Amino acid sequence: MVALAKMAAERRALRRSGDGGKRIEHLALSLAGEKYAVPIAHVGEILRLLPITEVPRAPSDVLGVISVRGRLVTVVDLRRRLGVHESPFDGKTRILLSDVGLAESIGLVVDEVHQVWRLAAEEIEAASVLGGEPPAHIAGLGRPAGGNGEVFVILNLRPILAAL
Amino acid sequence: MAEGGGQDPNDKAREEFFSEAQELIDGLGRDLLAIDEALKGGSVPPDAINDVFRGVHTLKGLTGVFGAGRMAGLSHVLEDLLDDVRLGRVPMGPSVLDLLFQSVSLYVRLLAVESGAATDPLSELDDLLSTLGQFSHKGGGAKPGTATQYDLDPGIFGVLTEYEEHRLRSNIQEGIALYRIRVLFPLATIDSALENLKVRAKPLGEIVTYLPTGSGSDVDTIELDILMASNASIHELRAGLAGAGITVEAVPKRSPTSSSRPAMPATPTPATPATPTTPVSAAVMPSESPRATTTTAMPSRTDSSSPRDSIASTSGDIPSVPATPAFKAVRQGSQGPVPARQEVSLRSVVQTVRVDIRKLDRLMTIVGELAIVRTALSRLSERARAGAGDPRELLIELGRLHRVFERHLSQMQSGILEVRMVPLGQAFDKLGRIVRQISRVHGKLVNLVVTGAETEIDKLIVEELSDPLMHMIRNAIDHGIESSDERVRAGKPAAGTIALNAFQKGNQVVIEVEDDGHGMDRAKILSVAIERGMLTPEEAHDLSTREVLSLVFLAGFTTKGEATDLSGRGVGLDVVRTNIGKLGGVIDITSEMGIGTKMTITLPITLAIINVLLVDVSERLFAVPLANVTEAIVLDEGHVRTVEAREMLSVRGTSLPICRLANLFRIPPRDRPRVRSFVVITELGERRLGFVVDEVLGQQDIVIKPLGKSLKSVRGFAGATELGDQRLVLVIDAAELIDEVLASGESRLLALAGSHHVSPMLAKAEEA
Repeated sequence: MVALAKMAAERRALRRSGDGGKRIEHLALSLAGEKYAVPIAHVGEILRLLPITEVPRAPSDVLGVISVRGRLVTVVDLRRRLGVHESPFDGKTRILLSDVGLAESIGLVVDEVHQVWRLAAEEIEAASVLGGEPPAHIAGLGRPAGGNGEVFVILNLRPILAAL
Repeated sequence: MAEGGGQDPNDKAREEFFSEAQELIDGLGRDLLAIDEALKGGSVPPDAINDVFRGVHTLKGLTGVFGAGRMAGLSHVLEDLLDDVRLGRVPMGPSVLDLLFQSVSLYVRLLAVESGAATDPLSELDDLLSTLGQFSHKGGGAKPGTATQYDLDPGIFGVLTEYEEHRLRSNIQEGIALYRIRVLFPLATIDSALENLKVRAKPLGEIVTYLPTGSGSDVDTIELDILMASNASIHELRAGLAGAGITVEAVPKRSPTSSSRPAMPATPTPATPATPTTPVSAAVMPSESPRATTTTAMPSRTDSSSPRDSIASTSGDIPSVPATPAFKAVRQGSQGPVPARQEVSLRSVVQTVRVDIRKLDRLMTIVGELAIVRTALSRLSERARAGAGDPRELLIELGRLHRVFERHLSQMQSGILEVRMVPLGQAFDKLGRIVRQISRVHGKLVNLVVTGAETEIDKLIVEELSDPLMHMIRNAIDHGIESSDERVRAGKPAAGTIALNAFQKGNQVVIEVEDDGHGMDRAKILSVAIERGMLTPEEAHDLSTREVLSLVFLAGFTTKGEATDLSGRGVGLDVVRTNIGKLGGVIDITSEMGIGTKMTITLPITLAIINVLLVDVSERLFAVPLANVTEAIVLDEGHVRTVEAREMLSVRGTSLPICRLANLFRIPPRDRPRVRSFVVITELGERRLGFVVDEVLGQQDIVIKPLGKSLKSVRGFAGATELGDQRLVLVIDAAELIDEVLASGESRLLALAGSHHVSPMLAKAEEA
């Protein structure tokens, strides 16, 4: 068992260093018409919208539970959690399964997912450019070199999910 | 990102370290208890000491890897001591055993320190370490020269490990006869065959060592020469070990005149000509030259001038035993350094899911059957597609297949359930240690008698059972068993007995904790209950004995004037009852003055599959465990009255509090009100509550899955389940909802208690 955990750690380290030097892959996504991104290592899986079973008396941003191949996953509306506008679900709505190393994988509802950006360190601006004390869930601003001036907020899912 | 994923495997590894260390420590405790038992009987089987040695050894390695330095240090010193005990340099006796028990409890605390859950018992560790140090090496070395009376090759001692040599010598010292057993094993099955032989040999005596003779009739077999010490006669041995290719003969005692004739082929055959000296053989045969193996029928040794054993010489075959893994394993098993081998075998015990392979085999068989069904099904669909055959015939065939499939699926289900089952002994083992420890602290003599440890129950339940059982045993020692003096005066044996009995009863497992102490005093319980304001003297008057005994399960109840460190703080039995209740079980108590007290726990065998009633609430489905449901009736709104802001329904002349699930769950009502609704009546002990639902859809067996941690704060659900059509349905935790709904009402009821024939407190107590 111990050996297995060690192997997993090594695999992870390998995956990280294997990302072509210092470039880190980010998955771009939309919430309320705005572009965001999350480190792709924090996303275990991207699912189409499944029927969600409501859980009465759960916190308001918890939409309910789904079954992912027999495993129960709690689904959180990331838009509600971040306090942005909630448009109705449509064909582009996706559920991201988080993989941030917490005991539980959480499903996060987003409006749309786009491409994967491989960002070098210089393509990520510190969150402090937003001024003031940036919230913990904002890891920085992505400004991909070949992105035609595209700018997106890079989310840190850990503080978002740890508070659940 | 970097801080995200990196943490996880470490945490996980640490978690695994703790669980693994915990298991090892538990195992140590268990082994020590076995030794304790054996010591009482006079002699300690060497196996038992080896078990402890190997446990400590593994623990040393584990704690070393994880930087738990103090645990590793303790393990190191213990290992030394145990090695001495193993080799007979230090005798195993009560004082050594006490030290070992102390070490186990220190391990437990050190582990707690590692996890940050306790403060450091540093001084105690130092004390123990110095005591342990004094023990090690105070005995002398092994006594030499005893083996000479047997006609054994003196060279054999160069082949035996130190441990094997010690066992050989001590067996000879005890005057136990030596036998040589020659067995021809097929290489392909040697592992199991040897294991089988060991099992059969065990009751007859002790296998000191086994070595390959280097001869086999062909390349597919291997002959082992087994040296065994036994008190049995040669006939008994022959009868007990009888089998194809097995010969048993006594090792002759050396007559003063006879020359030294080697009874054993002192050197094992090297692996194969192609692979010179493997590490193993290098370790045991430093003198051997690799070249020799290719040319001589038997490997040469430095003292190869001595005549060969007849078995070896009669076999004319070239000893080119292939270096198959099986062969290597045997060699390693017989001669490798003992701890290394044992670490491997211990791991297989500790680390596996502990599933009996036969259970998995049964599952495998069912999977095979299912594959047959699939084939039949695809053939059927081919036929249907081709339009061949009578459609009615096809339908009949389909129906048949469906039934077969259903049968296999249910077999599969129960098979998987069985895999989840573990023997209750896993929870009982820890209790033996507790009894020993507590009775010592109290200066009481207590024997724990366990029966039915092999009774199987869901793994989940076993885990949750340890603490309640510990409380009950503590309680029995503290409150039940009298001091030795008192017992003798009462005409009882000085040592008290706590019997822990487990057995299966239908779909339930019953666990009894019975002591032969002074029993529970009705008057004393009542006076305490009255004193604490739990009931009035008038109420007390009307209670049955059973009701009185149940009072001890109420929170805050204790009959001990003073709290001891063991029990008597009034937390304990109420917690026990709550925990047992959470597992879907009940606890009952009977007691007789002067004779003893018996607490009986009844638990469901498994939690995994439950029978539920599916209900519809505003077009949302919920499942209510049938275990809690007594009946479902149509709601007659005309019989609903509001009492104390609670809706009460008159059912056959009694009042039933009801709760509309749609309101409780804040589900918006459906557009059109329903013509009729249903009431699902649930029961938890004495408390009843009716849940109003829109529709009752029928019952179903479901596999319940827990909701994620993120939903822990949401009360009222035991989990969820997937129905056949892939819909997820939440399973209602009826007990929790009853608690929640009635809790608000209970405080009001308490005010009315005076006018009631029984107080709510007692109603609560009677649940037990």
